[in-house]
Amino acid sequence: MKKLLVLSAFAAMLASGTALADTSGKKIAFSNNYAGNSWRQAMLDSYGIVTKKAVDDKIVGAADVFTTADKEVPTQAAQVQNLILQGYDAIVINAASPDALNGAIKQACDAGITVVSFDGTVTEPCAYRVVVDFKDMGKQEVEQMAKFQPKGGNLLEIRGLAGTSIDDAIHAGILEGVAAHPEFKIVGSVTGDWDQTTAQKAVATILPSLPDVVGIVDQGGDGYGAAQAFAAAGKPRPTIIMGNRQDELKWWKEQKEKDGYKTWSASIAPGVSTLAFWVAQQVLDGRKDIPHDLLVPYLAFTQDDFEAALPNIKEGGVATHEYTQEDAIAAIKANIKQ
Amino acid sequence: MASLRMVLEKPWLWSFVGALVVWLATIAFTGGYGAGGMVTAALSLAVFTVIVGVGQMFVITLGPGNVDLSLPANIGLASAVAMKVMGGSDAMIVVGLLAALACGAAIGAINYLLIRALRIPPIIATLSASFIIQSVDISYGRGLQIKPPPGFADFTNWQVLGVPVLAMLTVVFTIGAALALQRMIYGRSVLAIGQNIRAAWLAGVNVGRIRFLTYTLCGALGGIDGALLAGYFRGANVDIGNEYLLASIAVVVIGGTSVAGGKANVPGVWGAGLFLVLLLTMLNTFGVSAGVRLVLTGLIIVGVITAAGGEKPVR
Repeated sequence: MKKLLVLSAFAAMLASGTALADTSGKKIAFSNNYAGNSWRQAMLDSYGIVTKKAVDDKIVGAADVFTTADKEVPTQAAQVQNLILQGYDAIVINAASPDALNGAIKQACDAGITVVSFDGTVTEPCAYRVVVDFKDMGKQEVEQMAKFQPKGGNLLEIRGLAGTSIDDAIHAGILEGVAAHPEFKIVGSVTGDWDQTTAQKAVATILPSLPDVVGIVDQGGDGYGAAQAFAAAGKPRPTIIMGNRQDELKWWKEQKEKDGYKTWSASIAPGVSTLAFWVAQQVLDGRKDIPHDLLVPYLAFTQDDFEAALPNIKEGGVATHEYTQEDAIAAIKANIKQ
Repeated sequence: MASLRMVLEKPWLWSFVGALVVWLATIAFTGGYGAGGMVTAALSLAVFTVIVGVGQMFVITLGPGNVDLSLPANIGLASAVAMKVMGGSDAMIVVGLLAALACGAAIGAINYLLIRALRIPPIIATLSASFIIQSVDISYGRGLQIKPPPGFADFTNWQVLGVPVLAMLTVVFTIGAALALQRMIYGRSVLAIGQNIRAAWLAGVNVGRIRFLTYTLCGALGGIDGALLAGYFRGANVDIGNEYLLASIAVVVIGGTSVAGGKANVPGVWGAGLFLVLLLTMLNTFGVSAGVRLVLTGLIIVGVITAAGGEKPVR
């Protein structure tokens, strides 16, 4: 631990030592394509808190947020073009599409603007991508499941939005985990779209025909809905992996108090937006050695620490974590090493 | 024999046949396992489509071009309004339901005002209204899940001998809607307007009032549906009504109501509602991937509509 601290302090020193440019006059825009769910609201809240402080501390000149109301690509492409004309130095973006915005992103790069994408990342090579290690998250779900259900058994998988890279990555991780733990067998798979309502409905329709399941592996935002579907059908409650939502953790706490229910929770922290912000700031600071693909850890809670986190999550919201400049520097360093 | 032929000529028959076939196919696959549970799940979930489907049916019956595309946004906002008014307290359930009803009715009334006063076609008017409603919902609910009071949540999930009570109540409601459509002046007026708006006007039907009532009714049903959805799915959210844009129109069409207006039936909405849920059950049970599932859903819906619409012209 001490060694790690020394190392990160060294890294921070190194970073400030290599700082070529002053970013206090730089303007960073945030292009966001949707604000209608709890995850996105938490993302915007975290971003607001961190960037306001960064502006007050004169680390950057301005950090403005631009949200389009719908999830449409053309609207966001037009928005990015406006941001180019308004003279921003960097754009942090949660994109509506991995490739359809590449044209607008390329224009921004050509205009000398740094583009950092996260969550909804873009494939345009000139942009940076802050990506959570979803594959490892999927694998960990099965690893954790093996601790709670050592005898193994049938699993139900709830998939996310079809066709997204996130869904593919978590699914691949789960398959890898099941391959390493042959005592588990996936007997059913439904699409929950990371949405409680969709997940509950999907689980309710497959449940009558399903053999007994010991656990549910999912992608976050769907655990509470799955629990409700099992309760409504009068089936015994399996071990459901959670996804850091307040209602999921609250349900977990209720079950734990009732009979010592055990599970695990993981998801991408909405505050990863702040990590993307700091990466943009580091690029503007003149760092040339930052990899364009940055793999960052997910946010997980265990049986021991989830109750402590629960009071800090807004009612109906999702657990988040606000990253600091040091976190960003450490993440960059970890990725350079790989 | 004559009565059998009369039944066979009913346009709503095909939706029930479809539901039955899909159910039997699923049971055949599981070897009879879970047959009863599937029906219970189908009844619980179909209720929500049936309620908005009936509203949409009245609107579509008004004639070509009439449709309410604001239902998803309406449902989302009403779910948030209901949950906020209830505030987690069982004592406020009735007040919350009334608030959702009023919220939905107001949206329906505004829809009609846009159509009437500004002379905007219903498709555009209700679609643009839905953008406004959704924005109001996002700023009102801040994207958070608002939980229902425990009493209301239990009520929406209450079953007697495997039959959801909500489904029983909805059957009563649909019988009322069928009577209103076929036996009451209001319903006959809706059908008359759908067949020929000018003839209806010449015959003394107050066209403006009936259309206003119909859009308001549809909005109110969307509102109550939002409250019930928030109860059943344990929480209001902006996207809770998303699937009802397509579903509300699909159940009307699959149920044998004419898209051109002037011809409607209520039982078909039930048949189609059950069909859609059982179809999802079947595809989930078969374990097909998400892409294949969507393609099959589309193809099967087209198939049923073709079968249901295969009647010969009367004249």
